[in-house]
Amino acid sequence: MNELSLSAITLATGFGLLLIGMWGMLVRKHIIRIIIGFSLIDTGIHMIMVSLGYTRGGTAPIIDAAVERATAVNTVVDPIPSALVLTAIVIGLGITAVMLAYAVQIHTHKKTLSIDDCTDGKW
Amino acid sequence: MVDALINPLNLVIVGLGIGFLLPLVDGRSPAIRRGLFHLTLAYQALLPLLWLMWLADGAAAQEIQTAGFGPPFSINLRLGLEEALFVAGVNLAALLGGWYLGDLLRDRAAAMSAFLILAMGIDGMIMTRDLFNLFIFIEITAIATYGLLGLERSAAALTAGFKYIIATSLASTFFLLGVMLFYYLTGTLNIDGMREQVGLVQGPIGMVAMALLVAGVVIELKPYPANGWGLDVYESVPPGIAAMVSVGVSAGALFALYKVLPLTAPYLPAMAAIAGATFLVSNIIGLKQKKARRLLGYSSIGQVSLVALALLLLTRLDQTAAIPLVVGGLFVNHLVAKAGLFWLAGALSRENIADWHGLRARPLLLVLFGLLLAALAGLPPFPGFWAKWELVMQLSAGGMSAWVALILIGSLVEAVYLFRWFGHAMQPADETASTPAMPQLLPVVFAVLGLFGSGHIAARSFGPDTLATLLPVYVAIALMLVDGLPGRLKAMLTLAIVAIYSVFIAPELAGLHRLFGILLLGGGLLIAAASLYRDDSRHGYYPLLTLLLLSFGGLLQAETSLQFFVAWEFITLSSYMLLCMGRGAAPFTLSYLIFSLGSAFLLLAGFGLAYAHSGSAALADLVRVQQGSGWVLGLLAVGFLTKAGALGLHVWLPGAYAEADDDFSAMLSAVLGKATIFGLFIAVMQLGVKGGAATAVMYVVGWVGLLTAFFGALMAIFQEDIKRMLAYSSMGQVGYMIAALATGTHMGWVAAGYLTVNHLLFKGLLFLVAAGVILRVGQREMYRMGGLIQNMPFSFFAMLIAIIALSGVPPLTGFGGKWLLINALLEKGWYWQAGLAFFASAVAFLYLFRMIHTVFLGQRKRAHKDLREAPLPLLIPQGVLVLVILVFSVQPNWLVGPLAEIMAGHAPQTLVVNGTLVQSGLGYWDGFMIINVVGAVFMVPLLMLLVLSRFMHVQKVKQFNIVFAAERPESPETTHYAYDFYRFYERALGFLIVPRATAFWNGVTEWSHSLGGGLRTFYTGNGQTYALYVLLYLVALYLAVGGST
Amino acid sequence: MAKRLLIVLTLILLAFMFWDVAGNYVEKTALEALPGRYVAQGPDELGAPNLVTAVVVTYRGLDTLGEVTVLFLSAIAVGLLLTLGGGTDAAEPPKRASEIVETAVEYLFPIVILLGVYIFANGHLTPGGGFQGGAVIASATLLLFLSLPQSRLRHGLLSATESLSGFGYVVIGVLGIALAGGFLDNRVLPLGEYGRLFSAGAIPVIYTFIGLKVGTELSAVLERFKGNAP
Repeated sequence: MNELSLSAITLATGFGLLLIGMWGMLVRKHIIRIIIGFSLIDTGIHMIMVSLGYTRGGTAPIIDAAVERATAVNTVVDPIPSALVLTAIVIGLGITAVMLAYAVQIHTHKKTLSIDDCTDGKW
Repeated sequence: MVDALINPLNLVIVGLGIGFLLPLVDGRSPAIRRGLFHLTLAYQALLPLLWLMWLADGAAAQEIQTAGFGPPFSINLRLGLEEALFVAGVNLAALLGGWYLGDLLRDRAAAMSAFLILAMGIDGMIMTRDLFNLFIFIEITAIATYGLLGLERSAAALTAGFKYIIATSLASTFFLLGVMLFYYLTGTLNIDGMREQVGLVQGPIGMVAMALLVAGVVIELKPYPANGWGLDVYESVPPGIAAMVSVGVSAGALFALYKVLPLTAPYLPAMAAIAGATFLVSNIIGLKQKKARRLLGYSSIGQVSLVALALLLLTRLDQTAAIPLVVGGLFVNHLVAKAGLFWLAGALSRENIADWHGLRARPLLLVLFGLLLAALAGLPPFPGFWAKWELVMQLSAGGMSAWVALILIGSLVEAVYLFRWFGHAMQPADETASTPAMPQLLPVVFAVLGLFGSGHIAARSFGPDTLATLLPVYVAIALMLVDGLPGRLKAMLTLAIVAIYSVFIAPELAGLHRLFGILLLGGGLLIAAASLYRDDSRHGYYPLLTLLLLSFGGLLQAETSLQFFVAWEFITLSSYMLLCMGRGAAPFTLSYLIFSLGSAFLLLAGFGLAYAHSGSAALADLVRVQQGSGWVLGLLAVGFLTKAGALGLHVWLPGAYAEADDDFSAMLSAVLGKATIFGLFIAVMQLGVKGGAATAVMYVVGWVGLLTAFFGALMAIFQEDIKRMLAYSSMGQVGYMIAALATGTHMGWVAAGYLTVNHLLFKGLLFLVAAGVILRVGQREMYRMGGLIQNMPFSFFAMLIAIIALSGVPPLTGFGGKWLLINALLEKGWYWQAGLAFFASAVAFLYLFRMIHTVFLGQRKRAHKDLREAPLPLLIPQGVLVLVILVFSVQPNWLVGPLAEIMAGHAPQTLVVNGTLVQSGLGYWDGFMIINVVGAVFMVPLLMLLVLSRFMHVQKVKQFNIVFAAERPESPETTHYAYDFYRFYERALGFLIVPRATAFWNGVTEWSHSLGGGLRTFYTGNGQTYALYVLLYLVALYLAVGGST
Repeated sequence: MAKRLLIVLTLILLAFMFWDVAGNYVEKTALEALPGRYVAQGPDELGAPNLVTAVVVTYRGLDTLGEVTVLFLSAIAVGLLLTLGGGTDAAEPPKRASEIVETAVEYLFPIVILLGVYIFANGHLTPGGGFQGGAVIASATLLLFLSLPQSRLRHGLLSATESLSGFGYVVIGVLGIALAGGFLDNRVLPLGEYGRLFSAGAIPVIYTFIGLKVGTELSAVLERFKGNAP
């Protein structure tokens, strides 16, 4: 690493969140905690996405009075990852909602939320 | 207006728009809602079909832009030929699947929406050219699937769904991260743009990016062992949904792989390894599976891996021109057949494959089921067959023989469990389960029609001659439609069709082909005529018999190895189905099919290797194979030997020959077996004389042939069942032919041809006689018969002629065969082999004697007093065969002469036919003279006895006109020594015939099943374990490829 | 225990893999060609100051339509899972919230809704947009449920709003094919004066549809989770 830049820190934090989320998904037995693990992974990904689009010293890509239109190319960050992260957030939300709905149903049927009790299918 | 209607973007727009609208018509008018649902699906299916037609006719691929900007500024989509094929396939499956699911979705507008959008999402996955957009469509597909999985409210389905979500959401997370890193490196999201910039994707970040992208796609394709979640879903959710996941979602994932491939070239070998391993392993585990839907799951994962593997290997070989046929063919095959089977499984709703018995009582279901299985097993005329052929050719030409072996072994294992399932369906059932409603079966019917259609299209790419090889199937289908006619009428129809066809092709055949044309078609007609003795309807028998006989013609007319192989597979399939109709055949059909398919796959590998070495697919160009001719010959020879039932590979034979319908046993042994000899002739004549390794192969084949002759005869003498005895006898006789062929000399080949003709004559005769006897006695154990000469004199006479012709004593045809064989072996210097041949003939006498003694002579059972002679339809073909034997006995040169001429073109002539004299380097034989001498030897005492009997007092002996140990016997059984006839020989030689081969193959079976059992222990059923596998896949991929650079 | 070890090992290896990325990451100092073009031409082409919105709604409009679809599907999935046969078993009626909460929500509810509308209506000008606005509207519903757990949403109305806004979005997209450059082109309406509320072509319209759709969808999802839904 050349120098510790702002986006490098957020990038590393994103990866850290990813690993913590994976730990949660693999080790925690409670289904709700597994879902929380997934949310952490999701958040980690979003941080990584935003970090990858950052340009040094850039500002938000909104070309209004605060930004000179002619030089905007040199002063704003990449708008694409910001757009993509918005999409990714919504998708993550959707998946989380479905997972929670499954958790509710599993609890209704099995009266438990331990993943170890969810081994109905096997071979 | 029309332009707007055919805009490919409508696939997305209409699916979404109607999907959004459907909940609005919730509750008010279910009919409108349902109509809208099906109409949309129909439009979605029709649109890509139209485009597929136009694109196939040469229309330019459609590039679709959005938002008014071209790529890379906006997202663009493409509808080229391959996209259109996949989209059309998926949407057709969705149309039929939507129909099938109609009842389940009826009251659930939301579920209808989800189903529509699922199909739309898959279309998007296939068409989009933007990597992030691909991710979006993957997620749309995934969430639509999650929703539909929730339709089933069992605990198993819910937990399966949750596991599915965990695994696929991790996979799409990888994919998303990979996309972002690609964007970071290349500055674009457009796939084509990235391909141009792919050089920028390097270094550690590039390697991680590729690993993430690859893992994301590969996990979607359900690689072993990270696929337990997929299997759970296939097993537990409604079959209509499972079908859509199996074929639709997999199609999207496959296409994603196709798009990602150019971006991740370094990972290609690793992906191929994963796909290959998954294909093999999931089929092996499938062996252990008893539940129908989970079995389909294993098959599904295996097939999808095969498609992926084909794509990867062809890309690696840079044979992109073959991709549409191979990948498209395999994909369509899997799509239609698997969806059809899932629907059928759902319509029948029987959980275990063992519960599928009794399907036999419902012909439509059985036919549908059988055709779908045949398609999955890669048999013609279905698209998978053509694709697999081309794949094997391309891989062989590219030097990837190990991959060919893997693919063929995996396919064989898959055939085992598929046709075991079919075997269960053929079992009779006590209860008659209700037939599923027609609406549920309609999609299955369409699936089968689609398979035929797509198979036809695939065959077209091999040219009109190959297309013509499909004629037998179409004739059989036409006959299947009139299967309601009376049995005898159908038999006549079959005979007429085959006769006309034979006359039609006769002028095109010459030399060896003409010889075998007479044997296969002439002999086939004669034996088929015997079927007239049965007056029952025999559902399905005659169409299949027609298929079999016409395929013989295909075999003879084949100019390329492909045409030969098509005909060969038709013979395999039709004879298997015909065998299945035998009453007690169930336990033996599977081994028959497996060994037949194994034989076919060996041939396929052999042809592939020949193509690689000679660069030609023509059958006559086998001779051009120089280097590697040993391997080619070895593969072809083992393939043919398997089908011939050579020692060690014979375990399928006795059961099949014994348990087939009685007239079909005659066909199997006398006629069908000759097709194998024909194939062996072709291989040996072109490759056997090459020297080098080929010589060694021929030497081994020679020994195998003679050992088969010896052990076949030895095992025959200990049989009680008349047909089983004839079966072992056939095995032994074929051994002689193989040995004669293996000499590779002119004389040897004449001997082989002679033995082949002779075997057809006497073995057809013997099996037909047996059919008559069994018909009258109702038994197959010989010791329960006896003294039948009084009731069935003509049958006795026919059997006597056949036995003399078999035994090889003068004056009948058998002598010439043995004379030629021994001469050929001695000429070659194979003295030990000649000794063994001689000894084996002696052993054959034992069972021949027994047949005469036990069945026709000795004491007649009381119950058999009033038996009549066999029916005329059986006797007439016997008469013809007797006549031919007698003619050739009197004039052997009529047979040997043409044979010597045919074989002369292929090897230095060592046998001279001169008038009635046949001369070899070792001596001569004059058949005409022999029969005169022998005739005189028999006639003189006969005349003497006749004359004497006029002058002397002759007392006729009645049955019990004997005294045995001072007792007058009361019942025939006590005086007729017949049971365990050769027990003294068994005591002496029994150690030789311990069923070692059976034990070996049982061992193979058991071993592969326990291997499957071991491999599936990775499936713990725990979602977290599966998540761990998914992560491990990513890590392993990266370490194996990226980490090392 | 062996499994735990394997997990630790896997995560360590993953960490190494991630380190390969983070350790070699170099912060960009200038925009690449593609985003550069968006920044340079976007304001003129599409008339939206907020370039993220321009990318979201128009340049990558198909993504956004897909995103809306994803949310729609997850609402469907939640609905299928939680209404059909069983669902949450609310044995006892939930407790009422305290009076303070009830009163506060009474005042806050319309304001939060208004905020949501503001956010999606100004999506092309300021940070925000349909999804954010919709989420804010849904949070108003959440507040309502917190204070009055027994309250019910009007399902017919919600469903109609949801379906019609989704369909409307698709229709606007199709209009793009007919009237402008292609599917989802925002220039079916005049671009108007740069920086004004009614400008940037169809972007505010699309964002309104999205905002309504997301708001109603998320509200419906919340109600499903609350239980005792009709």
